[in-house]
Formats: sequence, structure tokens, C-alpha cells
Amino acid sequence: MFTSFKAGEKGKIVDLSHVNHLVQRRLLDLGITEGTEVCVKCVMPFGGPIMIESCGQCIGIRRKEAVQMEVVKV
Amino acid sequence: MEIALIGNPNTGKTSLFNNLTGSYEYVGNWSGVTVEKKVGVFKNNIGHLIDLPGVYTLNPLSRDEGVVTSFFLNESVDRLLNILDASQLERNLNLTLQLLEYERPVLIGLNMIDVANKRGIQIDVSKFSSLLGVPVVPVVARSGKGCDKLVDVISTKSVEPAKKNLVYYGKEVEAAIISLSKEIEGKTEQSLRFLAIQYFEGNEQVKNYLHTITDSVTLSKIHSALEAELQNRYNSKSLSNFIYLKRKETIDKIVAEAAVKKSTVVPLSEKIDMIVTNKFLGIPIFLMFMYLLFMLTFDWVGTPLSDALDALLTGPVTGFFESALTTIHASAFIHALIIEGLVAGVGGVLVFVPQIFILFFFISLLEDSGYMARVALVMDRIMESVGLNGKAFIPMIIGFGCNVPGIMAARTIETPKERLLTILLTPLMSCSARLPVYALFVGAFFAGHRALIVLSLYVLGIVVALILAKIFSSTILKSETSLFVIELPPYRMPQFQSLWRSTWDKAKGFIRKAGTFIFAGSVFIWLLSYAGPGGLDVDMDHSFLAMIGGVIAPLLAPIGFGTWQAAASLITGFLAKESIIATMNIIYFVPNDSSLQGLLANYYTPLAAYSFMVFILLYIPCLATTATIYKETGSKKWTVFSVVYALFIAYVLSLIIYQGGKLFGLV
Repeated sequence: MFTSFKAGEKGKIVDLSHVNHLVQRRLLDLGITEGTEVCVKCVMPFGGPIMIESCGQCIGIRRKEAVQMEVVKV
Repeated sequence: MEIALIGNPNTGKTSLFNNLTGSYEYVGNWSGVTVEKKVGVFKNNIGHLIDLPGVYTLNPLSRDEGVVTSFFLNESVDRLLNILDASQLERNLNLTLQLLEYERPVLIGLNMIDVANKRGIQIDVSKFSSLLGVPVVPVVARSGKGCDKLVDVISTKSVEPAKKNLVYYGKEVEAAIISLSKEIEGKTEQSLRFLAIQYFEGNEQVKNYLHTITDSVTLSKIHSALEAELQNRYNSKSLSNFIYLKRKETIDKIVAEAAVKKSTVVPLSEKIDMIVTNKFLGIPIFLMFMYLLFMLTFDWVGTPLSDALDALLTGPVTGFFESALTTIHASAFIHALIIEGLVAGVGGVLVFVPQIFILFFFISLLEDSGYMARVALVMDRIMESVGLNGKAFIPMIIGFGCNVPGIMAARTIETPKERLLTILLTPLMSCSARLPVYALFVGAFFAGHRALIVLSLYVLGIVVALILAKIFSSTILKSETSLFVIELPPYRMPQFQSLWRSTWDKAKGFIRKAGTFIFAGSVFIWLLSYAGPGGLDVDMDHSFLAMIGGVIAPLLAPIGFGTWQAAASLITGFLAKESIIATMNIIYFVPNDSSLQGLLANYYTPLAAYSFMVFILLYIPCLATTATIYKETGSKKWTVFSVVYALFIAYVLSLIIYQGGKLFGLV
């Protein structure tokens, strides 16, 4: 589960198919897809968005979308 | 020659545009700062450069991106100048490959090589160029290094792509491209291969375009047959995904050959992020920043400067006009028109130029440094709870400067409902034109707490906007889908030159308005106050202006300022908010703003003054804003709605504040 990650932990995306279609498209535009390695940079309080890093770029996504991403720790 | 500048968001596109054209453009750092199509002339006059909004792909999600796709479908362009961020090659190449399929001459400007080097990425430029089959010129967009070379290559070299069909999509897709091309051959001037691939990718705009020139059933048959075949043979998820993966294969191959990656160090940007987007400190830091902004604008720097300017205008400048008028023996009418109408009206507004410059300077700083996107991230949780998303916060902050660009900035919001909601609520953000009114009234009634009182009005605007967002999004503007994925560009040290440019670019509008709108308005208002049913040069209380104001005044009595003067100035405020001050200066004809403040004490109580400021904050979007709302929504209904709801909310809130305040014994 992606949301159990703490800041600084790395993971590899396994499955994005449950994520909202538009979000999937946008992530793809940013080069994030199945197989991409991501690192959680920080987690906003009160169920706010999380900030992830992949290939040197930082991206903010909502917690509820992050929940639907299947990620394994590496 | 027409050249289009295209690239991903945050690749330094607008900086490059400025350096190539030397024009005064707007430079920003959050995704989508280029909200309009902008055209500039090259420094050496070789042609026009068209600045397109930043996009990741030609398959659009937001309206901003739609602008680019429709440009590609409907307009002709001679050359494409594609700017790439060298530190994010893979992502940037996804767009480049689509551009190459468009089969127009392409030239690549490779930006941010220094950033790439810091991340341990070394790029072999000549290798890269030969792999893509187009010229590649390394540039530093921020400083303009390499721009001369770029212009040289654009104007001399033939930049026809040397390689065709860089991406091989597999025999099934290629066969389908050929059969679809046959359907549309001769019916369009655009590249058939480009149209076919975009259609297969599910590009809605291309789909609509193709449906206008050929039979939609045949096309969708080709599409579904291909998708089914790919699913059978390769078990692919979808056609668009298949195309994406094929492109990615090619990109990976190019990058592997042209770039070398070494291990990396943590860039400074990420260290700063640990603090400003910190779990608990994020929002307090943002509020601190805003507080600082207000203190600088109203207390520490802005007010002393404005006072000095006021002294200059009322002293030497008025004296100059007085003596000039006396020397030329001007008639009493002209004398009154210039001194009581123009100098009082226009001068009363110009006094606030320093404060407005400071405000715009800080907004530019927010944009250029890359902090704006972080603010959107920090604010998303709050915005989501009222049915908006964090990106809506950016138009609102820009709205503090001026509502018009704020409303236009809403184009980067992908979902139509959230965008409309943002457009409707941005006018509640207290723009710089409302600032003179506050400055005048806080000076007269709340001298000890200037910044605090003004901050309270700005916060009130935000709070009202959030409450209304909640109400609207759960009633008339319900939407299920909400999208929030935001790129956080690395922090960049803003360059003074570009900061000054964008500050000047925004603030000059205010000065221009003072010279045109306010100028004409001042003459008109003065005439109305000078003439009456009894003829010219009547006592002001018997002028036409007093009559018009007098009709509305009784309605305003319950909210604390039922005078014809207040009513008349509110009417002119629709033209431009700062003309409220111009009108008051004319009505209460006084030599300068400080004596106007003294006079106001006779007409307002502090409570009524606060109620008046709240009313000004909310009551109606100005003329230019209303026109922009109409342009952006394309709907008369929503435009009228935006005016009516604002008037209603303003009246109700002022009523609560004034009557409630009286109950508590405030005066």
C-alpha cells in the first residue's frame, strides 16, 4: 500500500489500472507508469496530498489516488 | 516566416521567447503561465514567433492544452521550435516524437543542460541530433546563451526532418495507419500519419476534426478492429497504451545512445521542499509570507512612498497647473475641470502606484521562484473539502493582483466544473484596484492597524470564496470527477530582470487605466457634479450626480452609508474599482487624500467604514472582469450569475457586519 510509505521510502509501481482514468493519463504525461520507481518526498497532514519524486521531478498527487496505486517497496 | 515555440511546461519556454524576441513578456514558473497565444517578432526580423502553452502531449486534457492541438489542426506554421528540458529527456521526447510525426520542419533547443549535468546526466548533442534527424542547439534560456546560434540555425539551415517515421509502431498499427490514411487522403493539408496516430491514441479533437471530413463509422471500425487485434495478439491493455509503449521503446533507445547517467546528489530544491511543504509548517509559512507581503505593501515601504507621491502631486504638481492656468487666463470652467476634476480624480488614483508595484512584485516573485505550485499542493486539502482543487488557488492568488489574468489562469484546471467554479469565485479575491479604497479608509479610521485591517479583508474574500465554493459545488455545480496531479518545478533563483519585466507588465495596466478610463471617468463625473437641473456650477447637493446617487442611497442606509456620495461612487466603481477614489476626490473636492480622510470622518463611523470596505470587496466584478468572465465561460447565464450573486453576498454581509456591530455597541 502506497500510503503506508513514509517520507524517504522508495517503491516501484506495479499496477495503476484502478486509478482514475484522467489521473492515469496525467501521470503518463509526466512519465510515470507501471514499472517506474518513485520515492515519497513528503505527506501532507489531515489526509492531504503526497509529494512523490521520480527521475528527479517532483509531483503532487492526492491521497485517495495514491491509495489506488499498487506499489511495492524496493 | 511563422515559427511556433512548443515544449513541456516549466522548460523555460517563455524565457526563451523573451530572449529571442526581446519583447516584454510574462515569465512564470508554475505550469501553464502562458494562457494566451502570444506572438513576437524575432530580434533580427526573420519572422514571427508564436508562443504556445506548455503541453506534455498533443492529446489534450485541459482547455489550455486544447489550444495547442487546435492550433496544430487549423493553422499553418512554417517551422516548429521545440524546447526540451535536458534533465527530463524521456518525458520531453514524448512530445518531440509527436511533433516529428506532424512532418513540419522541427528545430530543437536543448535547455537546462547545467541542471542535467548536476544530476549526473551527460548528453552527446551531435549524437542526439543525428538520432532524431533534426538540428539540436544547446541553449540557456534564462541567460540567453546559445540564442544567437539558434536564430542562425532557424534562418539559414533547412530543418526538414532527415528521418521519417522515427517510431515503428508494429505491423498491425502501421497497416491500420495506411488504411486510415486512404480514407482521409486529399481531404486535409495536415500529415496523414500524424492524424491517424493521434486518432488511434484517442485524441478527441483530432477525432472531431476527422469526423468533419470523412465518415465516422469507417474510422471507428478501423480503430476497434485494430484494438481487438492487438488485444488478441499481444494482450495489450488499450490501443493508446500500446502506442505509448512503442514510443517509449524508441525514446529509451535514443536516450541510451545519446545520454550517459551517473549517480546523483540531492539538489538544493528538495532540501527547501522539506521545509516549505513540511507537514505542519507548510500553511503557517504561507501565511507568514502573505503577512510579510501586506506589511511591506501597506506599512513598511508602500505607504511612505505613497504619502511622498501624494505630497508631490498636491503640492508642486497642483501648483504648476494652477499657475499655468492663470498664465493662460483659462476660464473658470476650464480651471475647475482641470483642478477639481482631473487633478483630483486621476491624481487620487496615481498616488497608489507604489503600493501596487510592490504587490505585483511579490506576486511575480511567487510565480518565478516556483513557490506557487507548492502553495497549490499545500492548499489542496482545504480546497478539496469545498469541491475545488489546489490548482484553483493559483488563479486566486493572481487575482489579488488583477482578477482578469486570474480568471484566464483558470484554464489550466482540467475539469470543466472546477474551472467554472474557479472563474466565478476569483472576483472575490481583492484585486489591487480595490486597494486604494482600503488604503484611504484604513488611513482615516484604523490608522493604528492598517495592515491587520486590510489583511482581514483579503482573508474575508478568501473565506467567502471557500464557503460559496462549498455551496455551489454541492448544489448547482455538482461534479464527480476531480483531478489533481501537479508538477512541482525545481526552485529557481528569480532573476531581477525578468522579475522587473513581469512586475512592470502587470502594473503598467494600472497606470494606463489611470490615463484612459479614470481620466475620461473623472471628466464625466466632474461634469455630472458640476451641472444640475439648475444649470452649470450648481451647489453639488443639487447636481445630477446627487440626484442619481440619491435614488440608490436609501437602499444603502441599512448597511451604514446611505449618502448619495457613497452611492454615486459605487456606481462608478463598476467601471474600475479605483475610480471610487477618483469620484470621492471630486465629490468631496479636497486638495489631497489626507484631507479627504479627515473629511470622511464626518460621513462615516468606523463601523460604517468597515462595512463600506466589505461592500467594495465583494459587490460586483468590474467591467473588464465581467467581460473576461463572459469570454472564458462563453455563457451569458453564468456572467449574469457572477454579478448577481456577488451583489447579494456583499449586501448581506455588510448588513450583518453593520447591524451586528451596532448590536454589540460598536460604532
